[in-house]
Amino acid sequence: MRSLALAVPALALVALALYPTIATGYGLRAVLQVFTWIALAGSWNLISGLTGYVSFGHVAFFGAGAYTGGILMASAGWSWPVAALLGGVAAGVLALGMGWTCLRLKGPYFAIAMLGLNEVLRALVSYFEGLTGGGNGLSMPTLDATVPIYYAMGVTALAVTLGARLIIGSRFGLRLMTIREDEVAAEAMGIPTFRHKLLAFLLSAIGPGIAGALTARDQGYIEPLSVFPLATTITMIVMALFGGKGTVWGPVIGAIVLFVAQEMVWARYPYIHPLLFGAIIVAVVLAMPRGILGLLQMKYRLPRTI
Amino acid sequence: MNVVITPAMIGQVVISGLLSGVLYSMVALGLALIFGVMRIINVAHGPLLMLGAYTTFFLYSAFGLNPYLTVPISMAVLFVVGLVLERTLVFRVIEAPELSSLLLTFGISIALVNAAQLAFTSDLRAVEYLTGSWVIGPFAFSKSRVIAFVFAGALTGGAFLFLKSTRLGKAIRATSQSRDVAMVCGIDVGAIHRLTFGLASALAAAGGALIAMIVAIQPEMGQIWTFKSFLVIVLGGAGNYPGALLGGMLLGLVEQLASLFLTTQLSEVVAYVLLVIVLLVRPTGLLGGRQT
Amino acid sequence: MEDVHKSFGGVRAVSGVSLSLPRGRIYGLIGPNGSGKTTLFNCITGVERCDRGRILLDGAPIQHLKPYEIARRGVGRTFQMIRVFPELTALENLLVVTTGPRAAAEARARELLAFVKLEGLAGEYAGNLSYGQQKLVEFVRMLMRDPSLVLLDEPAAGVNRTLLNELLDAVRRLRDAGKTVLLVEHDMKVVMGLCEVVFVLDHGEKIAEGPPGTIQGDERVIEAYFGR
Repeated sequence: MRSLALAVPALALVALALYPTIATGYGLRAVLQVFTWIALAGSWNLISGLTGYVSFGHVAFFGAGAYTGGILMASAGWSWPVAALLGGVAAGVLALGMGWTCLRLKGPYFAIAMLGLNEVLRALVSYFEGLTGGGNGLSMPTLDATVPIYYAMGVTALAVTLGARLIIGSRFGLRLMTIREDEVAAEAMGIPTFRHKLLAFLLSAIGPGIAGALTARDQGYIEPLSVFPLATTITMIVMALFGGKGTVWGPVIGAIVLFVAQEMVWARYPYIHPLLFGAIIVAVVLAMPRGILGLLQMKYRLPRTI
Repeated sequence: MNVVITPAMIGQVVISGLLSGVLYSMVALGLALIFGVMRIINVAHGPLLMLGAYTTFFLYSAFGLNPYLTVPISMAVLFVVGLVLERTLVFRVIEAPELSSLLLTFGISIALVNAAQLAFTSDLRAVEYLTGSWVIGPFAFSKSRVIAFVFAGALTGGAFLFLKSTRLGKAIRATSQSRDVAMVCGIDVGAIHRLTFGLASALAAAGGALIAMIVAIQPEMGQIWTFKSFLVIVLGGAGNYPGALLGGMLLGLVEQLASLFLTTQLSEVVAYVLLVIVLLVRPTGLLGGRQT
Repeated sequence: MEDVHKSFGGVRAVSGVSLSLPRGRIYGLIGPNGSGKTTLFNCITGVERCDRGRILLDGAPIQHLKPYEIARRGVGRTFQMIRVFPELTALENLLVVTTGPRAAAEARARELLAFVKLEGLAGEYAGNLSYGQQKLVEFVRMLMRDPSLVLLDEPAAGVNRTLLNELLDAVRRLRDAGKTVLLVEHDMKVVMGLCEVVFVLDHGEKIAEGPPGTIQGDERVIEAYFGR
């Protein structure tokens, strides 16, 4: 049983690694997108799924990474792998700042603050036009790097998932969950909740930061609307919720299923995406609050690190 | 910015701040009620305001009704909408962890906004009824803002009177303080929840209706109102209803003052920075409120 | 070693209460509803901050510390309404409290669960356990850090006779091991039978203090409970 559990993901990894050799442009892009969503949803899960502190503005980290990486690549000519890592660093710094101020409060206040973060960052980007190109956007020197970026994003997605696995399987992860369950009791048991929340928040920002910078490189052009859209936050939340927040593979499953569904069913009706996603969120919260994997986990006593 | 600031400008700004402040107070009061009575963060508050705005717009453009007459109609419509939402969806997450109610109302809000985009398109609409300004001495006040101030003031005052003096109002306040005690006193808590949600939606609708006459409206307009309403609650203190009144005025004042020195692009940033500062310095609100 | 000495004047809840708990005995805190007992607990554990006064643990002031810092100094508590972590298993509930090497922590957790005869339910989600079982889990979870001061908030509430006797037995063993126990309780039989010294609060003030026998006969106590 153990070897099966290892063999399946191993095979999948090999298949994904070899995929670019046979893929079409569309196929490559599609899998790249799935990797991106896995990185985003999986990261959102680290803070919101585990600690219960809902981050409504998580796309802010994606955008921050995109602009940091974009500026470094466009104005300073840095190579994209380094720019991507720095995008992650920038996102982390932002998370530290936001988290230090907002996580010391109870959940609702944090959620409110995150709600506004997105808009503020977008406004700031527009304001500092000289650096960011403002509303006109930022262009990077053309470079066909789709395949290397595919791998980079794949590694990012893998790192996020493995990170989740490590965290959820550890006592650190358990302590994060106690914050969700009963923060007062957790404190009474000697758990420094603020520190834990901050660390989780920091970790949850790095993945989106790197993904943002990679996406910037891939698209070759970014503008405030493209990297700070509410739709991205909505999508990553739906994916994590649907697949199972608080689980390791939940966001992965959610990302794959919803992306495929999106491409196959809803690509024809792009105008109702948010409506449908909104409806899904409502349905999941009411009927399946732990998501698919969470439901199975409870029902069949699956290990926590699923 | 090299601008000479005259006392007249300060005066104008202060009065403008108060004018817009009451509007903030009214809308935030609705949110404060939901939060106080049901312990729910209603992320969909802004979209409800948006629907109120559109209701007024359509009544005005389709039937030529005096838009000020549409305010009570908008309120009534959204009151019903709020009741329905509570009855079908929201009541299920009242006892649930905060995460659930946040996500649920979030889901509702994006559904509402998207539905509005489909129905109304994202084109800007406006109700141009009362244009121009009244000039008194060195001050100029946009007519629509002044009338909005009057309406909002009346409605907010009426809401407070309702809460203070009527039996229903007292029941709402009782439930807000302690749900269990209220139940034991024979208060139908479920009905109170529905009423509160409907009332809050009506207040939001009034806000939307009045705003429709001041600025152009579009489906996405609600978002920033949700955020600002929360800011007002944070300023005034959670569960502190009179605090919402002062919080709204304060926000209005700060925004207008900031506009003297900063471009409009940064006005949202101002609100945000204000939020962060207050959260850091006095998280229980300037007037002191309940910690969640 | 002096365990706790507090004097503080609070608003509403607790007014000018001073208690001194020398180490190694079982103390009871009683009083009619609303007399400020749980508030007092909350002040000791840092959940609430007292407005005036000091709380000293082993001579060192702790009233300004955060709850988790106080817990780390050896103060353990249970709650009036059980607060286990429902989506964690019983074992995880205990495990989560410690930071040392995992193997040792797990061994100790299992040991404690066995102490209350719940080792078979170690892998069960705490939320699925019965009321009594949850109470026991909360009890041993508190013991994971080997606290020197144990605060029990209504340990007898909603518990059947057999379980209650087990709990009381366990409390006595804690005292024998050198711990200091302070419990808030409404069940007079428990208080009189278990506690060596009883404090009585009424309307936020301490109105009596002494061995159970003395308290029972104290006029002010009777008045507080049965009305004026």
